[in-house]
Amino acid sequence: MLHLLKIEWLKVKNYKAFWIFTILYFFAILGINYTGYYVNELTTESLPQSQLLLGTPYAFPKVWQTVGWMSSWLLYFPGILFIMLLTNEFNFKTHRQNIIDGWTRKQFISVKFVFAFLFAIVATLFNFLVALLFGFLTTGSSFSFSGMENILYIFIQTFAYITFAMFLAILFRRSGAAIAVFFLYGLIFEWLITVLINFKMELSPIGYFLPLQVTDVMLPIPFGKSVIYKSAPDEWTLVLGSLVYLAGYYFFALKKFTKEDL
Amino acid sequence: MSVLTVENLSKSYGRIHALNNVSFTVPEGSVFGILGPNGSGKTTMLGTIMDILKPTSGSYKLFDEAPSELQRRKIGTLLETPNFYHYLSGEKNLEIAAEIKQHGKEDIQKVLEVVDLSRRKDSKFSTYSLGMKQRLAIASCLLGNPNVLVFDEPTNGLDPVGIAEIRDLMKNLSGQGKTIIMASHLLDEVEKVCTHVAILRRGELITSGNVNEILSNEDMVEVGAKDSEKLMQVLQDLPAATRVSKEGGTIKIFFPIGTANLEDVNSYCFTNGVILNHLILKKKSLEARFFELTNN
Repeated sequence: MLHLLKIEWLKVKNYKAFWIFTILYFFAILGINYTGYYVNELTTESLPQSQLLLGTPYAFPKVWQTVGWMSSWLLYFPGILFIMLLTNEFNFKTHRQNIIDGWTRKQFISVKFVFAFLFAIVATLFNFLVALLFGFLTTGSSFSFSGMENILYIFIQTFAYITFAMFLAILFRRSGAAIAVFFLYGLIFEWLITVLINFKMELSPIGYFLPLQVTDVMLPIPFGKSVIYKSAPDEWTLVLGSLVYLAGYYFFALKKFTKEDL
Repeated sequence: MSVLTVENLSKSYGRIHALNNVSFTVPEGSVFGILGPNGSGKTTMLGTIMDILKPTSGSYKLFDEAPSELQRRKIGTLLETPNFYHYLSGEKNLEIAAEIKQHGKEDIQKVLEVVDLSRRKDSKFSTYSLGMKQRLAIASCLLGNPNVLVFDEPTNGLDPVGIAEIRDLMKNLSGQGKTIIMASHLLDEVEKVCTHVAILRRGELITSGNVNEILSNEDMVEVGAKDSEKLMQVLQDLPAATRVSKEGGTIKIFFPIGTANLEDVNSYCFTNGVILNHLILKKKSLEARFFELTNN
């Protein structure tokens, strides 16, 4: 696997778009959390009573969850990035050439998932540092390990969004189609389906187990969770649900890629 | 040992039979041409043996073994189009290919030299002309000095000098004892370099075997004289000839392959009182033979 990763690294090492996207993504994580932090400071300054509702989102231990939730809005970035990495291969027909030159079809898919795994780890580490930073910046907050399980949730959510995007890329093979479906589904239709299932058909909590939703519920908005995600299942059930999806993306991507013409 | 054995290979796209029950063998050391018009199944054939396409039925062997990625690493393959990362330089692209093949990294500068791309090795692939892309693909095939090469339309997009260079390269490789499998619709390309040939038409294998046996199954001698009537008469009794025909102004004599002897023809005519003003040995043109094979 290390050798496969080395080759994957050669593919992105000199790919400018990959690095620009990645750096923008990391800056955006910092930026969106700074915005949240700043707005929160302003609000509590001018309206001290608001703290009763909002709590102290950027203080330990809440900061792990707050940063995770804020950053989760940016997960479309790495999603698009990995859609690009995969559809590039299809456009350049290098997915064929890699096989011709001596990879197996399974190796081609597996190394992409492992690469996404490593990318998710790096993104999680960055989120951890950002949370640390804003936790210390908040006055009257002292470091605490409690709530650290949110770091695990951040990782699972990041990996789930990326692999979902990769799955769409393998399914549609075209970046335009994959990106459009990714956005429309993630930002609109999934919410619609959740609402329909949970409230219209009153089948809650089934609607919380949709592919992206299951990770969103795991890392909910830091205040008012009980209103937005009414009767949500507990975190470990959601983690389990997410893992089932992750395995499913890999399994079906592998199946499609190994059985069909390339 | 045979390099490639294809057994009853079929590939369908819905109702279209891209390959229909094709079987043939590529002997070691041969230059094997797969010949056929556009859409006859040449690329489908090569794509299948490289595991890019899944056959509907049938099987194939590489080096007398069940195919695997390990054997593909020992074969330099150019399939249909040069497939490279557009945003990387030629050299970086070859590095990736060499890593996947797990050999040939030390050859990168050498193969770039062979295809005359050294000056542009640091330019992005996307800036290459069609001919340069093709050259890079051929360079990639040569990495690790493989004993078997598969070329699908190798002279696509090349200028006349490039075409001549690639032909020389193939002759050179063949001279080193390498096996070359080449798909082409360009007949003179096949005629100039191939030792063996398989002819495909609409997915079916029409014939395969030694190029001399398939592409010219008889020798043809063209003759002419002032009195062509008399010449025609005299030739009717020419020993060894299988038949004589008159087309337009020229008379053609056919012999079993390898038996035509111009001196014999000349002296026979002279002793029978006809003086030839035209005498030439012609093998049947490949083009004529090809149309003959693919049209009926």
